[in-house]
Amino acid sequence: MSLINTTQLTRYYGSRVGVRQLDLNIEAGTIFGFLGPNGAGKSTTIRLLLGFLRPTAGSARIMDRDCWKQSHQIKRDVSYLPGDLRLYPWFTGMNALRIWGRIRKMDLETTGCELGERFNLDMSVPVSDMSRGMRQKLGLILALAPKPRLMILDEPTSGLDPIMQEALADHIRELAAQGHTIFFSSHSLHEVESLCDHVALVRDGQLILNETLSSLQRKATREVMVEFKTEEKATQCTLPQFLKITRRTDTRWYGHLIGKPSDLMLWAAQQDIVDITITPPDLETLFHQHYHHPDSHPADSSPVQSEGSES
Amino acid sequence: MRGLLGKTVRETWAVTLFLGILLLLVERLMSLVLPQLMEDVGLQFIQLPLMKKFVSALMGIDLEGDFIDIMIASLQWVHPVVLSLVWAHAIIFCTRWPTGEIDRGTIDVFLGLPISRRKIFLGESIIWLISGAVILLIGSIGYFLGVGDLAPEQRPEISRIFIVLINLYCMYLAVGGMVYFCSSWSNRRGRATLWSFTLVLGSFLLNFLAQFWTPAERLEFLSVMHYYQAATILRDGVIPWGDLAVLLTFGFITWGVAGEISARRSLCTT
Repeated sequence: MSLINTTQLTRYYGSRVGVRQLDLNIEAGTIFGFLGPNGAGKSTTIRLLLGFLRPTAGSARIMDRDCWKQSHQIKRDVSYLPGDLRLYPWFTGMNALRIWGRIRKMDLETTGCELGERFNLDMSVPVSDMSRGMRQKLGLILALAPKPRLMILDEPTSGLDPIMQEALADHIRELAAQGHTIFFSSHSLHEVESLCDHVALVRDGQLILNETLSSLQRKATREVMVEFKTEEKATQCTLPQFLKITRRTDTRWYGHLIGKPSDLMLWAAQQDIVDITITPPDLETLFHQHYHHPDSHPADSSPVQSEGSES
Repeated sequence: MRGLLGKTVRETWAVTLFLGILLLLVERLMSLVLPQLMEDVGLQFIQLPLMKKFVSALMGIDLEGDFIDIMIASLQWVHPVVLSLVWAHAIIFCTRWPTGEIDRGTIDVFLGLPISRRKIFLGESIIWLISGAVILLIGSIGYFLGVGDLAPEQRPEISRIFIVLINLYCMYLAVGGMVYFCSSWSNRRGRATLWSFTLVLGSFLLNFLAQFWTPAERLEFLSVMHYYQAATILRDGVIPWGDLAVLLTFGFITWGVAGEISARRSLCTT
């Protein structure tokens, strides 16, 4: 069953497009990476999902409830970390948990304090005395402590150091393993690649890619280096169909694998090869093609095909 | 609702207390200064045609005969400093939602909570109603402290003072409703404050000018000040039901419209 479902979701700011004809289906229990450059429409989509903005056209539903009309009912099962986080300057970790807990009608203090320890945050410091990273940690604690079914995190690692980013990633994986759904917005491909199991890419307010990470990884090319024993062996060897060579030296071939790594391994076992290197799937190139290629079509109207697609 | 009320109280108690204490000090100061001032200036000076018109305009009634005692008592409740403090509280408080939250960028966090916008508005309004009453009560302490210094014949009946306070509170509600209305469609607190201040000041000037200028007299009914008649209440001791009804109706309608606008419009940090 879809936890989040949007149909032709469109929002204009005057004549400027926020998002246009966005169709999303997010299953429960996934970590959904929502990727796009600044101004692509990520935050607008989130604000439409949370009922902050009224859609110009189309609809958004969470848990089969309308995001605009039943916004506050939806939010019993949803928590949110804004991208541009601003907190009340008089907040401390403790009184924020107390007040938020009263509004949510649940005890957030126990879980919140545990998270405070995990993220190494002093819960007695007022927001006005906090650094940006500390404020981000508090925002995360407030979003994660209620443990709702759906957590919408807009650029959650912003302002966090690498150690805290890793701690957050671990926590998100644990939550997903417990069945929670995480909507993770980011402009960092590395983050999404290391964490998410489903990825959507927006550009200029339109969805241009929406697939599982494993499917994307299959489509992405891998760089390959093959080193033959001698120059003669390298010259005599017949190029297999699944290798696209871009450069040759005396004994080495450099190129891309277009196909399964197993095909390459079987082929390599029959050759006189001294070394072989295969890089992980290069999602970055795939994403760059979509970001920068003017002919990339919205995901709903034309399925994405990459150079390395399996037939 | 408890958490919501707690948050509002946490954010507003200081300004309410501060303005309340200022009002108390102003009331106390006026009760010390006004009787002496009236004695020094003298009744004859105040009865000069221009002066008389000026004072009547300020107090909203045509004063005839021996009005010095009424004047002293009513000036303490119609003086521009007193009104400014009361209006300032209404403007500061009622621009908190939604423009205050939008302007300081906290609305995204706040609206992420499972609480409806109507409930937020209601919670804010409950504390606003209580704060308004608190501010007037603190101010009236300053007034009653000063009553002891007045000659017995200058002391107005306590019941009449309470009617003035009720009338002032109703005006506070009318102004607050109007400020909520200005705040409901704006994204900038400064802009909402400016609009509110302009309307309140315009209302005051309209009522003042109506005493001197016929065209303004025709529009006087548009001013909230027209429905706040402290001097008449102190002179006659009659509850001005009509004025109270007008102020409450105006306040309720503008408040209600503001609540609906802020519930139905798109709201987020800009």
